[in-house]
Amino acid sequence: MIPLGRLLGRDRHALAAPYVLDALEPDERRQFERHLDSCPRCADQVRTLAEGVLRFALPTSAPAPAAMRERVLTAVRTTAQDESREQSAPATPDPEGETRTTEADNLPRSATGRRPTPPAGTRGPQVRRPLLVPLAFGTAVMALVAAVLFAVQVTRTHDQLAQERARTQAITSVLAAPDARAASGRDRNGRGIGVVASAAQGRAVVTVTGIGAPPAGKVHQLWLISPNTPPRSLGLLHGDTPLVATGLNSTAMSLAVTIEPNGGSQRPTTTAIAQLAL
Amino acid sequence: METDELLVLVAGGDQAAFEDLYDLMSGPVFGLVRRVLRDPDQSEEVAQEVLLDVWRTAARFDPSRGSAQSWILTLAHRRAVDRVRSARAAGDREQREARRAERPAFDQVAEEVEAGLEREWVRRCLDKLTELQRQSVTLAYYDGFTYREVAERLSLPLGTVKTRMRDGLTRLRTCLGGAA
Repeated sequence: MIPLGRLLGRDRHALAAPYVLDALEPDERRQFERHLDSCPRCADQVRTLAEGVLRFALPTSAPAPAAMRERVLTAVRTTAQDESREQSAPATPDPEGETRTTEADNLPRSATGRRPTPPAGTRGPQVRRPLLVPLAFGTAVMALVAAVLFAVQVTRTHDQLAQERARTQAITSVLAAPDARAASGRDRNGRGIGVVASAAQGRAVVTVTGIGAPPAGKVHQLWLISPNTPPRSLGLLHGDTPLVATGLNSTAMSLAVTIEPNGGSQRPTTTAIAQLAL
Repeated sequence: METDELLVLVAGGDQAAFEDLYDLMSGPVFGLVRRVLRDPDQSEEVAQEVLLDVWRTAARFDPSRGSAQSWILTLAHRRAVDRVRSARAAGDREQREARRAERPAFDQVAEEVEAGLEREWVRRCLDKLTELQRQSVTLAYYDGFTYREVAERLSLPLGTVKTRMRDGLTRLRTCLGGAA
């Protein structure tokens, strides 16, 4: 489809404008990006034109839906970052042209959110949307879930993957629940708890941030605090891995993290190092 | 703190910096994605993916190659354009025709820009572009058409469209740079 001669001739430089406007076909874009590596003049031009593009982009700014904030921040707490820098980074981000581990290649590309939504009938976030979930919430949450799960998966071995599957299914179910609500807090020391809870399911996904590793021989234990009943253990925390808490009800007041001896305690034996009112 | 500094902190895994970055950039990201996709639900979905991508891939940001704002909005724009093109490729002709009938790209731009923050400047600067420059840029950037598609729609040779795009962007940059 794309005449090669056009990309090899002097005409190539003229592609800088369509490039910064994302108006090239995928093949052309890749070829132009390769060309950029060896053409400082073109790279300069791209940088300059990109400033013009920014002037088109910024005036469209509109407040994002309020609920989006907590969903994104919760997802960020459970999502590992890509560790390595690209060998040769493109002048602008390239959602398609990156290389990944073999493990990642085994995953459907749609789960990365890095491909355009496939047409109906193929695998993609929209196919997995439960019918009963309200559209506005369902699509947004499922996309995040796909991204979160993908990020979790690339950092684990296949064995761990199998173990985590049940847990990730529970997380998916809570995050996609029509009545899911999110809350989070952080103290002055950067310690925080984030939670997405479904009252209908009585379950919640809890993430903890900034508490570091427990001292030797100790563990971090998560508690549910309710009025008129002793604190109930929701389980032991393992690093930043999200924990699925079950058996919640609407009387629950807050969540707390304490440091306990290995194996955990029946009741909290120390004061909370992180707490979140529900 | 500046967007550039925040993004560098985010690249180091700083979640608090990400919250600040979110507060600065979620509006521009959401607004741009919505401008391209129109549909608020889809836009929210794509904007979330983009912001999560910012977190995941922040280490790839290279300040020597451009600003953090530009890097983030490029991510957002590409994702939105990919989405709109795959919807078109899936043969969503009805929607396409409806969109075309519903509004000429050009008036809509003027309207939305008018409602935006930089409306006076942008308006004045857009007025300095020729109509072909403006249409070439807006059909590509706001509607997600490739420059080939833009050429078809405007019945212009490919080379002319590329030149109009370049001149339009250059003129806009100069004008807005001067006004700022």
